[in-house]
Amino acid sequence: MAAKAIEVNNLTFSYPDTDEPVLKDINFSINHGEILGIIGPTGAGKSTLAMCVNGLVPQVINGEMEGTVKVNGSKVSESSVAKMSEEVGFVFQEPENQLSQMTIEEEIAFGMGNLGVPRDEMLGRITHALDQVGLTGFEKRSPLALSGGQQQRLAIAAVLAMRPSIMIMDEPTSMLDPKGKNEVYDVLKNLKDYGMTGIIIDHEVERIAAYCDKVLVLHEGEVQMFAPSDEVFTNIRQLHELTLNAPQVTEFLASYNQTFGKDVKLSTTLEESVNNFESACK
Amino acid sequence: MNSLYMPKDSLIHSLDPRTKMLFVVFVVASSFILNDPALQLVFLVALFPLVVLAKVVKPYLISIQFLLLFAVLIMTVHGIYNPIGVTPVFEIFGGLTFKYESMVYASVMSFRILVIGTAAVLFVMTTHPSDMASALVKWKVPHSFAFILLSTFQIIPIIAREAKIVMEAQQARCLDVKGSLIQRVKNLVPMFAPLFIITFMKVHQLSYVLECRAFSRKGEKTSLRETKIGSLDYTFLLGMLGFLAFEIYLKLFMMGSLQLTTDALLTYSLFGTWIVFGFMIIKFVVKQFQGKIGGAN
Ligand SMILES: Nc1ncnc2c1ncn2[C@@H]1O[C@H](COP(=O)(O)OP(=O)(O)OP(=O)(O)O)[C@@H](O)[C@H]1O
Ligand SMILES: [Mg+2]
Repeated sequence: MAAKAIEVNNLTFSYPDTDEPVLKDINFSINHGEILGIIGPTGAGKSTLAMCVNGLVPQVINGEMEGTVKVNGSKVSESSVAKMSEEVGFVFQEPENQLSQMTIEEEIAFGMGNLGVPRDEMLGRITHALDQVGLTGFEKRSPLALSGGQQQRLAIAAVLAMRPSIMIMDEPTSMLDPKGKNEVYDVLKNLKDYGMTGIIIDHEVERIAAYCDKVLVLHEGEVQMFAPSDEVFTNIRQLHELTLNAPQVTEFLASYNQTFGKDVKLSTTLEESVNNFESACK
Repeated sequence: MNSLYMPKDSLIHSLDPRTKMLFVVFVVASSFILNDPALQLVFLVALFPLVVLAKVVKPYLISIQFLLLFAVLIMTVHGIYNPIGVTPVFEIFGGLTFKYESMVYASVMSFRILVIGTAAVLFVMTTHPSDMASALVKWKVPHSFAFILLSTFQIIPIIAREAKIVMEAQQARCLDVKGSLIQRVKNLVPMFAPLFIITFMKVHQLSYVLECRAFSRKGEKTSLRETKIGSLDYTFLLGMLGFLAFEIYLKLFMMGSLQLTTDALLTYSLFGTWIVFGFMIIKFVVKQFQGKIGGAN
């Protein structure tokens, strides 16, 4: 497959009631099996960008769009959101707004039913999806009787069961406590093992650094950085200019270097940072 | 908790939702064919075994209480004031007389409410909402209409929870939700405005989610829950048909010779509803009273 998983060219978008475009001339692409993290201050246009990838913007949420978005080589604008859902799964921020059925198994079956998946296959996929998100044995429960973290994992399972090749998650953990966040990120790690392509939007740089292959920094609708995550997070100065932070260990090393005039190599993982620090101190 | 549906394992539960919908239609039709208080009473009693069979006796009795309120009101008011009455049956204090014709009229009306109510409650309590939706789809009802019906069942608990949150938030801003009745009614406005907006936003969000789950995709849809018409359904349908035929026969040929409705029957059923109603009031008062005492402690 020569086509990139996602390819965005010269994308500019404005909502009907805003003067300035929310997204300005965006260009980036990701390969199959890569996980992209999108970070940026609130209002930067992260959600809007994500919704452009599955066609929700501008097909359902109206606005003026220029440029092209291609998924698996074909243009999103030539397809419908419902059609796109076979390839792109979307998980939203609020867990309980995404649930519409009476029981967990029906919640997962809903999307599949719309795709016309036969009943026998549904049962298998439900078991598998629940296993992927660690909710095995909850089939008959009501989605409303779950904790926030569980609900979000259920929403992910419902999308997974539709077997998209690309998964987009828009701040899936911002409503959750640390335990819930870990639960969701563990699922994300699994996705990578399944070879899925992913886009995740989050304010948690620590986790973005740990789980994503590439990072895109968005600021006022413009791409400020787009590079492998190590590269982005070790560029501390630029991050600070954009009012963003790197993971704590990286911040520590950078601050140490600056205060004591040292030149320790920056890193985003704890282990590597410790080693770098140790060898520099010798 | 999610809806009125009571998940139980019973014969009635395992019937196809379409059979049960036809059953409701059958009961409604019967309640009009049998426009005689005695026959309707018999019919009402005959429905009760189904409630027992469905294992929903207790929730049924709780919900039927409210319909009984209507029955009491109709029987009493119509019995006394309906102008079609001529033959006095008995008199209560103050010279108010219950008349035979008006009592027949009122009894037919209230028994009809109870009979239809019983069938409706039976249907709702034993039918999973998604089954109802998929049954409708099989009857070529548009998918989105079936979904609207289904989500109505879903949205009630969500609104209830949201209402609680809004109420607590407004209380935190010193809104008095426990004051006098008039005050409370006035305060509904600051309650409902945010509730309406929140619900609206949620529905909006849900529409995006549905879109991402291929809801508007063209082509055939499948469902996890299968509803199949089996031998049980056919037996049930045959039974209903037989009963219907019998009713019509009764109506056409027997009504002249068969006169079950008597003064005594009418009077006793009126008293019956009064007594049950009385019990309900006593129960309510006792509960209120206990609440007051509990609150004082
Ligand atoms: N439906 C809409 N109509 C008009 N303007 C909108 C709409 N949705 C978002 N905007 C505006 O577009 C800009 C970008 O919004 P977007 O939701 O994409 O930001 P974001 O980066 O996801 O922010 P956050 O981190 O808070 O989620 C904001 O200024 C916002 O006010
Ligand atoms: Mg956002």
